[in-house]
Amino acid sequence: MRVAVCVVAAVLAGMPIALAQTPAGPAYRAPRTADGQPDLQGIWQAVNTAVWNIQDHPAELGIPAGQGIVDGNEIPYLPLALAQRQVNYRSRQSADPEGKCFMVGTPRINYMPYPFEIVQTPTQITILYEYVHTSRHLRFSGKHPEGAIQWIMGDSRARWDGDTLVVDVVHFGDQNWFDRSGNYHSADMHLVERWTRTGPDHLSYQATIDDPKVFSRPWTIRMPLYRRVEPNVQLLDYECQAYLEAEKDRR
Amino acid sequence: MRIPLMAAAAAVAVRLVFLTPVVAAQEIPSIPPTKESVCPDNNPVPLLACARERAKTFKAPRTRDGKPDFSGFWGGTQAPHENLEAHPRTPDDNGGPSFIVDPADGKVPMRAWAEVKRRENRAKYIDQNAQCFQSGVPRHLYMGQYQWLQTPTRLVQLSEETNAYRNIILDARPHLGRDLVLWQGDSRGRWEGDALVVVTKNQVGRGWLDQQGRFVTDAATVTERFTMFDPNSILWEITIDDPLVYTRPFTMASALRRNLRADFEIWEESCYEGESNTNSLRNLGYRTYPGFSAKEAQVAKDAFERAAAAGSSK
Amino acid sequence: MTARISAGVAAALAASVLASAVSAHHSLTVEFDINRTVTMSGVITEMKWTNPHAWLYVDVKDEKGQVRNWAIEFGSPNALYRRGWRQTDLPPRNTITVTGYPSLDQSLRISATDVKLPDGRTLFAGSPVGGGQ
Repeated sequence: MRVAVCVVAAVLAGMPIALAQTPAGPAYRAPRTADGQPDLQGIWQAVNTAVWNIQDHPAELGIPAGQGIVDGNEIPYLPLALAQRQVNYRSRQSADPEGKCFMVGTPRINYMPYPFEIVQTPTQITILYEYVHTSRHLRFSGKHPEGAIQWIMGDSRARWDGDTLVVDVVHFGDQNWFDRSGNYHSADMHLVERWTRTGPDHLSYQATIDDPKVFSRPWTIRMPLYRRVEPNVQLLDYECQAYLEAEKDRR
Repeated sequence: MRIPLMAAAAAVAVRLVFLTPVVAAQEIPSIPPTKESVCPDNNPVPLLACARERAKTFKAPRTRDGKPDFSGFWGGTQAPHENLEAHPRTPDDNGGPSFIVDPADGKVPMRAWAEVKRRENRAKYIDQNAQCFQSGVPRHLYMGQYQWLQTPTRLVQLSEETNAYRNIILDARPHLGRDLVLWQGDSRGRWEGDALVVVTKNQVGRGWLDQQGRFVTDAATVTERFTMFDPNSILWEITIDDPLVYTRPFTMASALRRNLRADFEIWEESCYEGESNTNSLRNLGYRTYPGFSAKEAQVAKDAFERAAAAGSSK
Repeated sequence: MTARISAGVAAALAASVLASAVSAHHSLTVEFDINRTVTMSGVITEMKWTNPHAWLYVDVKDEKGQVRNWAIEFGSPNALYRRGWRQTDLPPRNTITVTGYPSLDQSLRISATDVKLPDGRTLFAGSPVGGGQ
């Protein structure tokens, strides 16, 4: 088993370019917006269990089994960081930001079990998430503001690489986790996302995480996103904080 | 009449030097650089008449699909969250004229039972903004910095405050079913000439219209009319119709002014994650506002009016 | 903002990022006693630049010589970010003098109206040394 992991790691280490490509298969040409951009608009949702654990995980009471979204299924923690991850895992009932109804950061917001809507204009793509009314603005203009800034969702700057939207994200805080199992990152995380239409109702998402404070090398997650095709589907509410505060007053 | 920004700021500075304490008033965020408006944006009644007149001949810039283009950065001009009615300047309030243009007396036409509840709200409950909950409609657009994104099927009004958004659907689909309620309501927009008319239903009924505790139930219908009347100004008319709470629909008006600051961006303002005021408010005895469904409002109204009738027959 | 800004306007801008500047956040008088101001000096122990308020935590010695940690509430961090200020501009262990409104519930919290560094400069006024917008 260890030999197989080493082989996989060696293969991945030698193929950084291959990881950045869109999924294999005949390239799908997405319809265009009026401005000629590939059209990513619509209401989308992840259908997986990554929110529980981004790696392979068996079922537990109340938790479905899942095949992970991490390339090679390995998260290359530095030794001290791995210890922190175990601490997170043991305290996950109280320490997970999601349990406090906080925004869950990027990339986790993309695989939360709630839909999101992509709205596209020539100057930016805005993603409206149902979960605690989170929003992200992937801007085609401007640069990351300079200096030490900590935002929960990070600052996103976007460009087109052929039909793929490439989004560079920095300016994170250090309070967020990748999942409900305590996988985490530091405020220095640098995330690069790639969004590509792969069919009329499918969008492929991948993200490369680079955080030398926590991980020994960059690593990548990838998953399909599915269009919500019900007629008249629209985003609803998950105003977690309102429910939580009302609960506190009931006690 | 627009006071140039620098003069306004200098006036504020003078006030700071000679009067203390004064900075408790939530300063209306300095209106970003914008050009002089042709209409007075700090007084709703003259604003309404002036803006409607201007709108007759003003031609708004167009989107690709030929509709008036409302996209861009906008700012609120007044502070209706303090009080919808005319109110004086105090250390806590900026003050100003009433936002109500109909009825003409500028008073909110509350039913008697609702006015009692309003005072109770102020005494017992916490304003939804203090807990970082979303504002609802129309309060979401009262004051602050906004970015509006417009496509053929959506007008999204992003607010920096609390990272909130309103997602106005511009196709003709029906409203959500009666059992679904949303904090920012369920909005449908349609074009009437160059004006965008937005009808919002299905609000949660757990928010206040102002810090005086004025409220709506989940049966309220809010109708807004957005009309651009000069290149940097939008007339915003709001009619609130909630027959259980108010004796008649009432209408307010305000202006939204374009933010011309170069390279301005809406940045993340996370609110609830850093919010620590609710606990101190709880220590003072306040609780989260439970709100009113239409059913609850009907019961409260009937009980109040029965008691009033019984009392008056003695 | 450019150097053409007068001192008066700079003071106004400084005031606007203190305490209650979050647009429609909530009524200040519900939480703080705006009829009194208190002034205290102490050493910064921590800063939290999380919305909706930036916070400074300050160790202050009371009349009995006991050191207690006070929380000083400012306005939105984005207002500071936009003027070029960053959390790293003010490392901990600086001594500051704070004036502000005390909390109504007697907790160790102040809504700041004025914060001064030992050399008399007002904290977060204008732009940081070296530029910024």
